[in-house]
Amino acid sequence: MAKVGVYVCHCGTNIAGVIDVSAVRDFAETLPDVVIARKDLFMCSDSGQEMVKKDIIDGLVDRVVVAACTPRTHEPIFRAALEKAGLNKYLFEMANIRDQGSWVHGHDHEGATEKAKKIVASAVGKARNLEPLEDKFVPVTDAALVIGGGIGGINAALELANMGHKTYLVEKRPSIGGVMAQLDKTFPTNDCSACILTPMMVEAYNHPNIETLAYSEVDDVSGYIGNFTVKIRQKQTYVDWSRCTGCGDCASKCPSKVPDEFNMGLSDRRAAYIMFPQAVPKKAVVDMDHCLNCAGREIGTLPKINEKTGRPILAPCERACPAEAINRSVAYNPEGAIKEVEVGSIVVATGYQVMDKGWFKEMAPDSPNVITALQLERIISATGPTEGKLLRPSDKEKPHTITFVSCMGSRDENFHTYCSRFCCMYMIKQARLIKEKYPDIAINMHFIDVRAAGKGYDEYYTGARKMGINFFKGKVGGLEMLSGDRLRVLAYDMESAVNIEYESDLVVLATAVELPQDATTLAQKLGLQFCGANFFRELHPKLGPVETATEGLFLAGCCQGPKDIPDTVSQAKAAAAAAAVPLSQGKVRIEPIISEVHAEVCSGCGICIPLCPYHAISMTTFADRPRAQIEMSACKGCGVCTSACPSGAIVLHGYDETQIFAQIEALTA
Amino acid sequence: MEKIGLYLGCNIPLKAPDIEQSFRKVFPVLGIEPVDLQGASCCPSWGTAPSFDLNTWCAISSRNITIAEDLGVDIMTGCNSCFGILSEAKHFLNDGERRKVVNAQLKAIGREFKGTSDIYHISHVLHHKVGVQKIRESLKYSLDGLKITVQPGCHSLWPTDVFKITEANPYNPTILRELCEATGATVPHYSRLEGCCGMGGMRSTDVEKSLKLFRDKLISMKEEGNPDMIVTTCSSCYLQFDMSQPILKERGLIDFEPIPTFYYTQLLALAMGFDPGQVAAISQIDRRSLISEIQSEKRLIKEVA
Amino acid sequence: MLITQEKINEAVSTIIEYGGRGILNCVQCGACSAICPGVRAGFPLLCRSLIRHLLNGELEEIIEDSSSWACQACCRCTEVCPRGVRPQEVVFAFRRYQGNQLAFSTSSVTSQMNLFETGHAVYVDPKEARSKVGLPEKTPTSAFDEQAKQEIQTLINNSPMGQLGLF
Repeated sequence: MAKVGVYVCHCGTNIAGVIDVSAVRDFAETLPDVVIARKDLFMCSDSGQEMVKKDIIDGLVDRVVVAACTPRTHEPIFRAALEKAGLNKYLFEMANIRDQGSWVHGHDHEGATEKAKKIVASAVGKARNLEPLEDKFVPVTDAALVIGGGIGGINAALELANMGHKTYLVEKRPSIGGVMAQLDKTFPTNDCSACILTPMMVEAYNHPNIETLAYSEVDDVSGYIGNFTVKIRQKQTYVDWSRCTGCGDCASKCPSKVPDEFNMGLSDRRAAYIMFPQAVPKKAVVDMDHCLNCAGREIGTLPKINEKTGRPILAPCERACPAEAINRSVAYNPEGAIKEVEVGSIVVATGYQVMDKGWFKEMAPDSPNVITALQLERIISATGPTEGKLLRPSDKEKPHTITFVSCMGSRDENFHTYCSRFCCMYMIKQARLIKEKYPDIAINMHFIDVRAAGKGYDEYYTGARKMGINFFKGKVGGLEMLSGDRLRVLAYDMESAVNIEYESDLVVLATAVELPQDATTLAQKLGLQFCGANFFRELHPKLGPVETATEGLFLAGCCQGPKDIPDTVSQAKAAAAAAAVPLSQGKVRIEPIISEVHAEVCSGCGICIPLCPYHAISMTTFADRPRAQIEMSACKGCGVCTSACPSGAIVLHGYDETQIFAQIEALTA
Repeated sequence: MEKIGLYLGCNIPLKAPDIEQSFRKVFPVLGIEPVDLQGASCCPSWGTAPSFDLNTWCAISSRNITIAEDLGVDIMTGCNSCFGILSEAKHFLNDGERRKVVNAQLKAIGREFKGTSDIYHISHVLHHKVGVQKIRESLKYSLDGLKITVQPGCHSLWPTDVFKITEANPYNPTILRELCEATGATVPHYSRLEGCCGMGGMRSTDVEKSLKLFRDKLISMKEEGNPDMIVTTCSSCYLQFDMSQPILKERGLIDFEPIPTFYYTQLLALAMGFDPGQVAAISQIDRRSLISEIQSEKRLIKEVA
Repeated sequence: MLITQEKINEAVSTIIEYGGRGILNCVQCGACSAICPGVRAGFPLLCRSLIRHLLNGELEEIIEDSSSWACQACCRCTEVCPRGVRPQEVVFAFRRYQGNQLAFSTSSVTSQMNLFETGHAVYVDPKEARSKVGLPEKTPTSAFDEQAKQEIQTLINNSPMGQLGLF
């Protein structure tokens, strides 16, 4: 006979404010096999835990039910208490009468109390039937993968590498650097973005523990914490990077023009190109989608021979390359190459994109002088399309009036309801940089409100007012196109409650931060979930900001939600620290609450195999017949196989049939 | 020939019947048979039932719609306000609860709203159902060389979520421009294209404020387009342009002659060769010389055998 | 100005009852007022500012203001509103509140009478103009259709408008 102890928690007024805790305790006492029922103000406090431990040590109880909050946060604490008192920690069950009781039924005290009794009865029913289980451990591959080579990914990789862990840094573009590489200067100190970023890019690229895989994408991930197998597709560059010196001669000879992504479409690049001057690695790629195959030089074909000279006729890019890194006769595989790596943990730092201006129909998106803030960043950047000269796109003339519009697609039910968090600050930064250089330009900034919460941020904002930048509270409602590609701004001044109209030469839209399209594909490969705002979901918004629901998978930077550079770097370092834990421990614990096949009962039908979301089930031979078997380190204990097995051959430890039926019985009594 | 219910409203049949006549002339040529909605009333306009009770608005609007439903036809209207009112009401009646309440009101007059007829603006029918190609082919006179400034009017632009047909970008509308270009005329852009003319409730509440708004729009049209005429597909805008330009002129608030203004189908009817005495007969601004210019012999398009 | 929760509650619930369902979505961004033709023409209480006054609990204090009657219902505010407020519906809800308190201009009374008597808010005798342009003197509308007029009158009489004492 089990000896069950029930401990009901007040949780201050969280539970006791709604539920009659004494009544629940009294009820618990009447349940079968319950030998002790107690209550406490905070069961998770030391005194609460001591109470449980004492009862175990005194031999009064051998099964423990705590009726309190959620096992997600508190189960580990009580399991540890059981362990300390010498009882198998899996002989513990939690009854969540807070989240599923007092919090959701705050208006109905009586009903909530009755529901709490049911929940406790169910937990006791299960506890009576609990069996001791043992933790299992598997060894860990001491290596990490960081996906995304922006400022977040670079920092995470450097942290991991400096801790001594081999780290693969995967970047889909030809160079690492991310959005930060596109920025001119950074707030609130106005230091040059490239000046602080480039050394870090170089450091990461040259780090003995970091293997940078640029122009590469994660193709497939399998395995589990400690032992992930990752297939990385190294996209075809059509340039032999072992020879390429990054001189750029190929690009200067390539005739095919393509809108330059790095300059946000404000200028052209060539089909053969180096992403930007400070690219790391500084290597050329040929963008085959836009390659003209000059001289009929299709990849993998032999060149025509000039009849007069007898020499082969080469394409301009290969002729230009002094390092002989371009040879179009090579039959390159357009699919690139697959590199398979084993890692123990993964940090996802895939970043963000900003919305295109085309979404905002009221903002004259057809006008060349309506641009996104990231486009302005390129215009004022020394490596940008105008080499840092502030010239508006339509006529390459200096603007006399510039308008900044905040919250385009952010805080907007038609697009994204969240605040993109760093637009206010970068707009103020851009305005300040322009005003410093060109005091004669009138700058009008329109905000719903200025959000300058950060170290030194509000001072930066008020400083902008002192510089003579004009701030208006009120969202711009529209733009009208005037001749000469000027724009009439239809705005509002909330403080004086009048509408305002003026003509502007350049309008800058702070468009919302969002996940790029390809993030969805990556999420499917990694098993990442999305939050309501459509960013990757962290394990817990406060206490698990870098962890995910999948153990061993961590998040950093804007893929988890909009954040500026300081916050991204902080989160990246935090994610690296968390990702290093299993690597430094050398082994990971596998919870025994997983499924197991009773081979003698299994009929070998195989129904369970495709159902398993974790690919943990395979076929084996048992007594000369095919049988399912579950890889314990891959099983997450979801129970899908258990419920689907027609022979009832799969048991989910910690949720076996007797336990579940006991719960149902208690709930339906 | 496709039959579509012709919802007239108030201003067109009572104050500007030449516009009504232009509908009746133009549509059959373009393969559309306008069907009278016998006994239709005011939509009801914004200043009436919509200003007092939402369900009464919906009841009167849906009564009008049921007339078309009974005939098994969709509705087209040449008045932007009517288009807005009927579209909004139909949208409100997507709410099952409201539909129940409104149908209870309609029961007293032996009607039931079913929601089977769609609401179109006349410009939508011309642009989407007829198409500019067919319009081009139906012309007798070409407007080549003439400059038109267009006034689409608010209620055919917003709110897009209640309309059956919308502009690709309602802030930069192109439907009326393309319809006018089909006549051979050129249609220059002007910055206040999507702006309000100041007619309607604003004019009846404070005519001075209305005229101020109207003047800004008119100046933008004149300075940026210098048109031979203004063309609109809103009967309210039409009245404002025809009525208020002479006032501004008289008060010395504009230094140019009032610009002749047509409802689009009037212009189309003239270009098709219909009698101006029937299709463009009532206006305060003198349009006679422009009408003669439009229907001049040199503009005749040679028949294609 | 004294703010009380009771007055705020009353103003908000009145507006919601009269059809301004989105009023509490408003974050006072001002986009509506930036493009409102009425605000541009100088009417003080439209779009954002009207909503602000209502959210301060003002109803009676602003009942005589004619701004709401100048709303063109162009609905551009609804199109640009980032929060789904549908400001025009709030303006019209306030107008309905005013209308039901008989706080509106006498010129507006004429339109109601016209609607009740002819089915047309705007009514002028069209016979001469119509025959001039070659149309039948009588319109195919309610103006010359007794049954239609009766139907309109029934609908109005059975509605809150019938209680206004105008007809």
